[in-house]
Amino acid sequence: MKQDSLPFDARPDPVIGAALRRALDPGDHQRFVARVLARAEQLRTASWDAVLAGWARVGVAAAMIVALAAGYLVGRGGTAAPGRATVPDALLAPSTPAAPVEVVFASVIGN
Amino acid sequence: MTDPPDPPAPLPQPPGEAARIGQQNEADLVAHALAGDRAAFGTLVERYAATARRVARAVLGDPDDADDAAQDGMLSALLKLEQYDPRRPFGPWLLRIVANAATDRRRRRTVRRVEPLDPGLVAGGARPDRTAERRALAQRLREALAELPERRRVAVVLFDVEGYSHAEIADVLGIPEGTVRSEVFHARRRLRALLGDWKEDA
Repeated sequence: MKQDSLPFDARPDPVIGAALRRALDPGDHQRFVARVLARAEQLRTASWDAVLAGWARVGVAAAMIVALAAGYLVGRGGTAAPGRATVPDALLAPSTPAAPVEVVFASVIGN
Repeated sequence: MTDPPDPPAPLPQPPGEAARIGQQNEADLVAHALAGDRAAFGTLVERYAATARRVARAVLGDPDDADDAAQDGMLSALLKLEQYDPRRPFGPWLLRIVANAATDRRRRRTVRRVEPLDPGLVAGGARPDRTAERRALAQRLREALAELPERRRVAVVLFDVEGYSHAEIADVLGIPEGTVRSEVFHARRRLRALLGDWKEDA
């Protein structure tokens, strides 16, 4: 074993190293590796689930907004002012008779 | 603390020069892992699992807690892989995350689970065979290690067990290199005394 005369020896001490390795080694290396990899796989799956869940939340929110907007427009259409004519109504409506002023003005020109 | 049955010799880790040689390879592995290559991440876990577990155990003592912390650290590293600088060695970067995970877990732990020492061991009782003797020495070493400050424990494990340089350990612990040298020195002094006593007892 090395002595303390080289306190800051830059090389590992093989005796202490081997003894500590034996003392700290928990064994069952492959089982631990398998456990970590299985957990990593779960994390990957969970992260994908989170992404999909996020998309689903956005989709539901968008659908609700569309439904609300559609409901609003339909409701507004049903309660629209009755006096407001649409383009087809205006085209199909009978023409209005000329105003009396216009008739007078035409007779003056004719004279 | 439980003492597991004699484990098979751990796979050699890539410390020091070996780590530097494998650095490029590891940068490639990280790049592949970032791209979703599960086998690449598996290779990194396989390569560093033993070191991460020992470092976590040096911090926490309890092997189950240490495994949980090592796992937390490795998964945390997976989530932070894009922050890794491929020009630097991967090992110290990973072990810093693992050591932090272990430290966090130790802080959260409200009740410290310490099993009492074997009375025969405390009394220096008879050691029936070599396996029992090795287990007893390991137990005494863990107890001695537990008496050291946390930073000192991690420093000596990274230096003497894992073969990292003082500079790399300074990177892991976030302290100056000179402080690492001092921590390793003090830890060794305590552990050498213990090992010396053990030899004399034997």
